[in-house]
Amino acid sequence: MTAFTMNVLFAVIWVAVSGSATFLNFLFGFLVSAFAIGLIREQAQGVSYLGRIGRILSLTVLFFKELALSAWKVAVLVTRPKLDVKPGIFAFPLTVDRDFEITLLANLITLTPGTLSVDVSEDRTLLYVHAIDCSDVEGTKRDIAEGFERKIMEAFR
Amino acid sequence: MTAQALLDGAIWLALALLGLSFFATAYRVITGPTLADRVVGLDMLVGIAIGFIAVIAVKTGFTLYIDVAIALGLVGFLATVAFARFILSRKTADEQGALEPNQGAERGVQPATTGKGE
Amino acid sequence: MVLTVLTAALLVGGALFALIASIGLLRLPDVFTRMHAASKAGTVGSGLLLLAAGLHAGDLAIFFRALAGFLFFILTAPISAHLLAKTAHQVGYRLHRSTIIDELRRDRPLE
Repeated sequence: MTAFTMNVLFAVIWVAVSGSATFLNFLFGFLVSAFAIGLIREQAQGVSYLGRIGRILSLTVLFFKELALSAWKVAVLVTRPKLDVKPGIFAFPLTVDRDFEITLLANLITLTPGTLSVDVSEDRTLLYVHAIDCSDVEGTKRDIAEGFERKIMEAFR
Repeated sequence: MTAQALLDGAIWLALALLGLSFFATAYRVITGPTLADRVVGLDMLVGIAIGFIAVIAVKTGFTLYIDVAIALGLVGFLATVAFARFILSRKTADEQGALEPNQGAERGVQPATTGKGE
Repeated sequence: MVLTVLTAALLVGGALFALIASIGLLRLPDVFTRMHAASKAGTVGSGLLLLAAGLHAGDLAIFFRALAGFLFFILTAPISAHLLAKTAHQVGYRLHRSTIIDELRRDRPLE
């Protein structure tokens, strides 16, 4: 995360120095600084910063796909003549443990098909998720664990 | 020219659909039955208002409307957060219509299903 | 030409999603399921309309501003939905009787 903070900082400096505060210019500065940091990183530690950006991008793509799917599922559910829902709240055991990752996972879960994160347990091991179709709780848990949670682990560890 | 006609039609269709959803959401806000339902409805109303603003931005060609929509989104978010805090500070769901008529006797204070799995 | 057609499609699509969200708000049984409709279809609806407005301007800077607004809605919608759901459950709003499982109430009963 420090590399990312540095990257944003570099981009802000770029915007300030180049004197045009547009979003495009910021994006350009961000890309240039990402490249620069990537160069330094690979020499210093061998951790591929660019590869990590690639994984974050893949997470973003997955997210937008799920968002579109989710809106479509709500549409199908709502316009069916007979409303047949089996809602419920289940506890999802968390593998990620950092605050930032839990926040991200909870937000992603809320915007994906049929699930809405409600609460986190005090010891941060359980995420309570409200699902609109609870007929297959284990399957839903597996989907989250193998989808978003795995991608988050890949992107930020 | 024909593309312009298509756009005009799309604008009117979008306005009509948004108007319908506005009335549907307003019905939910008025009937409730609980405060939480009304807050969800108000949140949705802000979303629809943003949609209206965006359509009017297309209709008139003023791009400044986009900033207005973003600002309204921020205000709506803060309003929803404030309402959530308000519900929390009231510390009670005990209000008229909080239960469906045939729901209270069945479920009692504690929900019937608290077990694991099914 | 292509831009205009795309704008028209985004306008109608966004308005349709907004309508679907409000139908969901009307038809779904309790506050938690209603939140599903409002937070997903509602966000996508207003987001698509905003994108249409940005696209219609035909200016890349304005389009990116609209895109930033869309991303902002995507960021805030789950937060407000989560806060409302947590609050509603904590305060004790009942789930609809078709609810088949509630592990949160099992772990954290009402006082």
